[in-house]
Amino acid sequence: MGYCFVDHGGEVEVELESSSEAGIFEEALGALAELVSTGEGGAAAAHEVELGSRDRALLLVDWLNELVFLAEVEQFVPEGVDSIELAGDTLHASVRGRRGRPRHLVKAATLNRLDLRQEGDGWHARVVLDV
Amino acid sequence: MGGMRVSFSTFELVRLDETLWEIPAGLRPGMRVPARIFADAELLDAIVDDRSLEQLVNVATLPGVVEAALAMPDIHQGYGFPVGGVAATALPDGVVSPGGVGYDINCGVRLLVLPLAETELGKRREALVHELSRAIPAGAGRHGPLGLATEELDAVLTHGPRALVTRGLCREGDLDLTESGGCLPGADPGMISDHAHARGAGQLGTLGAGNHFVELQRVECVFDPVGAGAFGLQEGGLTVLIHSGSRGLGHQVCTDYVRKMDSVAERYGIVLRDRQLACAPASSPEGRAYLAAMAAAANFAFANRQAIAHAIRSAVARVLGREAAADTRQVYDVAHNVAKVESYGGREVLVHRKGATRAFPAGSSEIPAAYGRAGQPVFIPGSMGTASFVLAGEPGSMERSFGTTCHGAGRSMSRTQAKKRIGGAELRRQLEGRGIVVRCPSNRGLAEEAPFAYKDVDRVVDVVERAGLARRVARLVPIGVVKG
Repeated sequence: MGYCFVDHGGEVEVELESSSEAGIFEEALGALAELVSTGEGGAAAAHEVELGSRDRALLLVDWLNELVFLAEVEQFVPEGVDSIELAGDTLHASVRGRRGRPRHLVKAATLNRLDLRQEGDGWHARVVLDV
Repeated sequence: MGGMRVSFSTFELVRLDETLWEIPAGLRPGMRVPARIFADAELLDAIVDDRSLEQLVNVATLPGVVEAALAMPDIHQGYGFPVGGVAATALPDGVVSPGGVGYDINCGVRLLVLPLAETELGKRREALVHELSRAIPAGAGRHGPLGLATEELDAVLTHGPRALVTRGLCREGDLDLTESGGCLPGADPGMISDHAHARGAGQLGTLGAGNHFVELQRVECVFDPVGAGAFGLQEGGLTVLIHSGSRGLGHQVCTDYVRKMDSVAERYGIVLRDRQLACAPASSPEGRAYLAAMAAAANFAFANRQAIAHAIRSAVARVLGREAAADTRQVYDVAHNVAKVESYGGREVLVHRKGATRAFPAGSSEIPAAYGRAGQPVFIPGSMGTASFVLAGEPGSMERSFGTTCHGAGRSMSRTQAKKRIGGAELRRQLEGRGIVVRCPSNRGLAEEAPFAYKDVDRVVDVVERAGLARRVARLVPIGVVKG
């Protein structure tokens, strides 16, 4: 369970695994946080995120893109989720983190080779990030 | 066309001539046109190592694509479209694909010439690079130097750098020396989301992270005295190359419209090999809306490089004096990621350039009068610490590549591999050991852009010259780097 960065010639490809579908979204936040965090500690902050998409895979991309937006506009470095709820193709999450100066490395989460599926007892996903 | 067939990885390529290879249209189901790659055998060896040819074949399946899906010699794997890819779709109903332009809409390069030689700069070099790094925020979010009110941002989106003239950030002469005069027609800020506005409001005049940079360079060698004369380049002279784009605003426009087109592709009967290729007919409401938003983001990018150029002139004034700043001249500004309506063989097409540069030849009405006999300037940044090239468009580009040539060296190694091979501090030491002054806030970011992570830019340029797409005018070598 967790995430790993897979070799990609131009961008950053992330493989995610979790025992639950919501866990995939938490792991995705962790991967993004590793990419944008500079390790500087700022004031604690929190954001509520509500999203609706065509399907769960697109919802995962929308989730990451919302975190990219918060990092860039609100200078918000995410650290984790206090709660995350998936219902149909909607998401509601309470995200905690810190104000800081996140790296502007990630331009967007893309739909390239996007994958989200249940496999055996767990969930697996792949997202390519444009950097 | 006939030719020698050579198997590379999972593809059988037909060699059409010395620098052009083809994957025939019948090779994979759904291909509407062949995929063609400009490369020599050594570059092709590197190209087949990643998924770029698979991505190029996917591009060849897009509705309305004409002639061929093309790859420049710096092609490498991207997301959906390969970086270094070119695709033209027939108008009015051929598709437009936001992924075929990319997230960094109008990421591009601008070259300035300083009015002195490296020998005259002397010991002031380090001070100049330091001042450049202070003047140009690298990746600032809401705290860029030019916070824009909504109406000011909308003026930039509509008019590009022209909107900065009254603020004293843009010279009229710079506009003439910018692709499309720095303003793509049809831009509509109303087609841009609130998220995109929010990301763009504080970012004008900022460099961004990743492979964006400002480089102080010496003209090492002139290949074409006529072209160099027209562009104002002399051996031993100094130039500054700016590489940046539309920042978060452009990224958000692409995000918004890929999502939108993903939701309507089925309605238009479009079957996608990859969701990132999401597209819609250019004449559809979604296609028209994207083109209006893309033009606005492209105008923002032209204005962003304009604001950076202004900051560079300010830094030059502080270190070298006002006269030097006043005489710092723009050579040209070209886009690397954009879709434009152009005409070839009497047919109007929408040319998607994703990591590729327009390269119109001498005599084109689209290039500044001053360059009418030389051809359009094209700038090919090498990797950090290696040479860059100034090229000029050649007639072959109009015949073979929809007026296009390469855009850079092209990555050959992932960022992860690059970081494993060298630490940022060590790379900084090596570059400085070679006489290059480096200003980069992040050692990690520095290592990711290590020179060995890119293909050999000399080889890439050699291919486009032999293919007749562009000719070498001058070779520039770095003496200072400011990285985001």
